[in-house]
Amino acid sequence: MRPPRSAARLRLDRLVWRLLPFSPILIFGAAWSIYWNIAHPPLAVMPSISGMLGAVVELAQSGTLLTDILASLWRLMLGALLGIVMGVMAGFVTGLNKPVATFLNPLLVFFNAISGIVWLPLMIGWVGIGTGLAVFLIWNSVFFIVFQNTVLGVQLVPEVLEQSVRTLGAGRWETIRSVTFPGALPYILNGVRSGLGFGWRALIAAELVGATTGLGQMIFRAADFSRTDIIVAGCLIIGVIAMAMDRWLLLPIERRTVQRWGMVARSEGGPGEGRRA
Amino acid sequence: MSIATTAGAPSRSAPSTLSAMLRPLLGLRIVLPFAAVVAIWWAIKWFWQLDDRVLASPAQVATAAIQLANRGILADYAATSLRMMGIAALISALIGVPLGFAIGANRIVARALEGTLRFLQGISGVAWLPLAIIWFGFSDTTKLTVVIYTLVVPIIVNTIVGVRAIPENYVLALQSLGASRLRIMWDVYLPGALPSIVVGLRLGMGYGWRALIAAEMLVRRGGLGDLIFGARTFSQIDRIMVGMVLIGTLYIIVDRLLVQPVETMTLARWGVLRK
Repeated sequence: MRPPRSAARLRLDRLVWRLLPFSPILIFGAAWSIYWNIAHPPLAVMPSISGMLGAVVELAQSGTLLTDILASLWRLMLGALLGIVMGVMAGFVTGLNKPVATFLNPLLVFFNAISGIVWLPLMIGWVGIGTGLAVFLIWNSVFFIVFQNTVLGVQLVPEVLEQSVRTLGAGRWETIRSVTFPGALPYILNGVRSGLGFGWRALIAAELVGATTGLGQMIFRAADFSRTDIIVAGCLIIGVIAMAMDRWLLLPIERRTVQRWGMVARSEGGPGEGRRA
Repeated sequence: MSIATTAGAPSRSAPSTLSAMLRPLLGLRIVLPFAAVVAIWWAIKWFWQLDDRVLASPAQVATAAIQLANRGILADYAATSLRMMGIAALISALIGVPLGFAIGANRIVARALEGTLRFLQGISGVAWLPLAIIWFGFSDTTKLTVVIYTLVVPIIVNTIVGVRAIPENYVLALQSLGASRLRIMWDVYLPGALPSIVVGLRLGMGYGWRALIAAEMLVRRGGLGDLIFGARTFSQIDRIMVGMVLIGTLYIIVDRLLVQPVETMTLARWGVLRK
């Protein structure tokens, strides 16, 4: 048995525990400033921490930061929304029709493999540089993943459940609404989540070369002037936005739906249950 | 853990007897959908009489493919991309798996690193590309840095998930028999987490392959991204499309014929641990 700890010691432990997640940032920041103060690298190679923070303030005050963030978010929203809605609808139609699903599956695999940034050279020629290009690339990334996951989810809903609701007199719509949709939802959300991950990456990549505004363009432009302070600041802002989206948008949605309908998802794991094989 | 652990293409292997029965049909089942797409593509090209600089016909794309292949350009560019991907995957696994073990097995390390990891996951590798170009120039190092960065995070995250799924009793059992920490890592963590690690590798390859293509477009030192982006300059749509088809095909080959069998194998061999 360990000796009981004093109250002060316990409080210290709790403080350390609370601050622990910030330790990598603190250590990294300290190493960065020490290196910077010893080596004094030119701004074209590495910014100082204060310089980087200054860049954030400077960008925020001139208003370009807000413009770029809004441009990126707008594209992401447009592309993701289109991709999710179309992916879910197409996924249901396909998932409920076995022959269609069998026919489309190889195409899905292939187009999923070339989704996103791979289309950039071709699309620049077709729609030019700008919002349309980024929206297409995001749509493209999101759509195929959501599509594929929806088909999988729909197919994995145990047929017994659907049949039992039908026996009770439910129509086709009612069955889809109250059984198939909630049953497939965990898979759909999984697809939405990975889709947004791919979409967010595609957006930044698309903006590097194929846009005049947006966060990707902001850091790419900064590279032309060797403004490493803006580049690093931009990367950190990209990370903060992604984390905020994950925490306040995706996690709550997933938690609520999976908790509510998780039962259906769990039954999928059971051996030999009524799957449409 | 708030990170999706399934790759974009989760798939279940059909029972072997069924797949054996369907095998003769399989070729047709794959060819037919693509034949339909090619037919539609050709119809669009023909109906609107689209210029070659807007849309190339399937025949033109095939000709360009043969031409590029004969001159060895295609193999050269593809080999460059594949080599990069292979090196990056290897280095990422060597970095990511031990780190994942440390975080998965140790509460304090987890508390210290998990938040940072999640933050880094949101910054795509491509976002670091401008900085990498400033630091390493237009070189292979730049591409590798970006791809490794992209690959390593999903591997770490999924290794953590895998380690946490291992029942603690296995570790305790070995410990009570006097096994060293290294031995436990080798005999419990590695086999137990392997299925999950492979899932992470698969997801990472999905991100990494795209990051590589994007990096090649900007760095322009060979690779399939360079091929399609370079063709853009001269509006060689046929070449762009050859590149796209090759990028997709190679990805599917690597994913389905290389990584997925490993996944199935590890699941069959060590999947017991993941109940």
